[in-house]
Amino acid sequence: MNLLDGYGMDTITMAGPLEAKLEAMKSVGFSQVMLMARDLVGHPGGVKAAVKAIQNSGLRPTGFQVLRDFEGLSGHLHNYKVDIAKSMLEMCAATGSKVLLACSSTSRHATEDLDQIAKDLKKLAMMAIPLGIKVAYEGLSWGRTVNEFTTSWDVVCRADCPNLGIGIDSFHIFAAKTPLDAIEDLDPDRIFLAQLSDFMWHETPSFEERMTTARTFRVFPGEGVHSEQLADLVLRLERIGYRGDYSFEVFNDDYQQLPLETVAERARKSATWLHQDVLHRSAPLPVWAESLHKVAS
Amino acid sequence: MNLRTTDREALPEMPNRLGIQGIEFIEYATTRPQALGQVLESMGFRPIARHRSREVILYRQGGMNLVVNANPDDVRVSATADGEAVISAVAFRVQDALKAHTRCIDLGAWSVASHAQAMELHIPAIHGPGGTRFYFVDRWQEFSIYDIDFKPIPTVDQQPAAVEDMSYFGLVQYIGAARSEDWMAYYEHMFDFTLIPDEERFGILPKGKLMKSPCGQFLWQLIEPDPWMEVDEAPESLKRIGFGVKDVAKAVKTIKANGVEFVESKELHPEDRGALTRSALGAVSFELVHQTS
Repeated sequence: MNLLDGYGMDTITMAGPLEAKLEAMKSVGFSQVMLMARDLVGHPGGVKAAVKAIQNSGLRPTGFQVLRDFEGLSGHLHNYKVDIAKSMLEMCAATGSKVLLACSSTSRHATEDLDQIAKDLKKLAMMAIPLGIKVAYEGLSWGRTVNEFTTSWDVVCRADCPNLGIGIDSFHIFAAKTPLDAIEDLDPDRIFLAQLSDFMWHETPSFEERMTTARTFRVFPGEGVHSEQLADLVLRLERIGYRGDYSFEVFNDDYQQLPLETVAERARKSATWLHQDVLHRSAPLPVWAESLHKVAS
Repeated sequence: MNLRTTDREALPEMPNRLGIQGIEFIEYATTRPQALGQVLESMGFRPIARHRSREVILYRQGGMNLVVNANPDDVRVSATADGEAVISAVAFRVQDALKAHTRCIDLGAWSVASHAQAMELHIPAIHGPGGTRFYFVDRWQEFSIYDIDFKPIPTVDQQPAAVEDMSYFGLVQYIGAARSEDWMAYYEHMFDFTLIPDEERFGILPKGKLMKSPCGQFLWQLIEPDPWMEVDEAPESLKRIGFGVKDVAKAVKTIKANGVEFVESKELHPEDRGALTRSALGAVSFELVHQTS
């Protein structure tokens, strides 16, 4: 058992080729990775070569991101998005990822009718079933209609489909200042992904500020000014029985120009902080002690 | 409707929005069509017609149609490993094939592109589990679809009787770990299948979840790997066909006389409720299930 087993980095955090990112994550002890579509299509060897690199790394995919602006559209826009979703699902399946992340729509062309949004998400979930994929629906804090996890949960409940759940993202919860009490209302088995990050500002009142911060200046859990809230969030998730993965969704322009090992090391420190200082889980025994333990038992 | 037939209570009928009325045919894919043909013949099927343009043979017994697809250009055939035969499609009889197909696509099914040649029937289909397909056929009352795509094999009886009146009883689908909920939701939403309570089982292999078609003519069994098994990464698949039969013992005797072996172990052996044939050609086995009506 590795201390970092329940935690993983996102490829979006680092610059450089996919293989180098995977190697850097692995070298500090991570065993899983949150992938993005660009890892595959931007790979110089193409999608197949990227899939091979992921398989060769031995890292387990936490999930695959991201399908945007899918729900609430009609006519040709809906049909177009269905096609995009199919391609995303096929890539997701090719990597062996069991979770596709779908973010709430920001489109002005999308309906605000929650029942229609639920209907579209149910269709997406149905498309995912034959491929063995779960859909994690995440409320972006600048989403047009769904911008808090309370609303994304409402929509998921309306859709009522076993492979449709929510994705929790700490950034969006803190940016939108959604009270954490509502965590109690969630079914832990329908939280398909928990993405964690912190940031350096206390206030992000406008959608514009949220977007800029989210895309350029997130930091690892424990590095920002919301550490206490983040710890509270993780403890609440644990309390309701969430036992899924935590992935670090850290978009940061500075990290994009640091050596990969340096960034991976920061992620490792963050995971250790979460594991030992927040969740108070014990550190695993050193290898020599583990083997002694086995002999004794 | 007259007053005499009015229900005392307004009980909801089981919805059947596609107008499903049973199974029109089941398709196997294999690179060894003759070997599979022998297996099928020993189960009572007779080859009755050949496809006009592709290496496909139609078998029949009683009301059951079964297609053996050995077309080398079909990826489902070339994907079969070591000549193994696999169930590659199930065709449902529906009220209106186009409407059924359109409805399923609207609900999130993946459409299958048609490869019909000139003058052949375009049978709309959606992707099923693994590499399988579900076809929708609506012309099963006024004329036979096989008259268009198939040429009868001369001198062969086109309506061979079924062994002990056997008929399609259901299909068994192997699914991944913890996937029952997903597939139950899928079949309920797409085809209006309904879940049968766990206490209600048929035959001698009661595992998993059992669903019933809205027409009540066939069942669908979903089986996950056992939790104690090693991680089973085998792709999901349609594993076997179940035949309904009034007298299992008589059917077993007749089929045994054709050289078919049945699984005989302490836990599993032919009995009044059902029987299971030993696997042939890798994984082809059939289940007999006692059916009262």
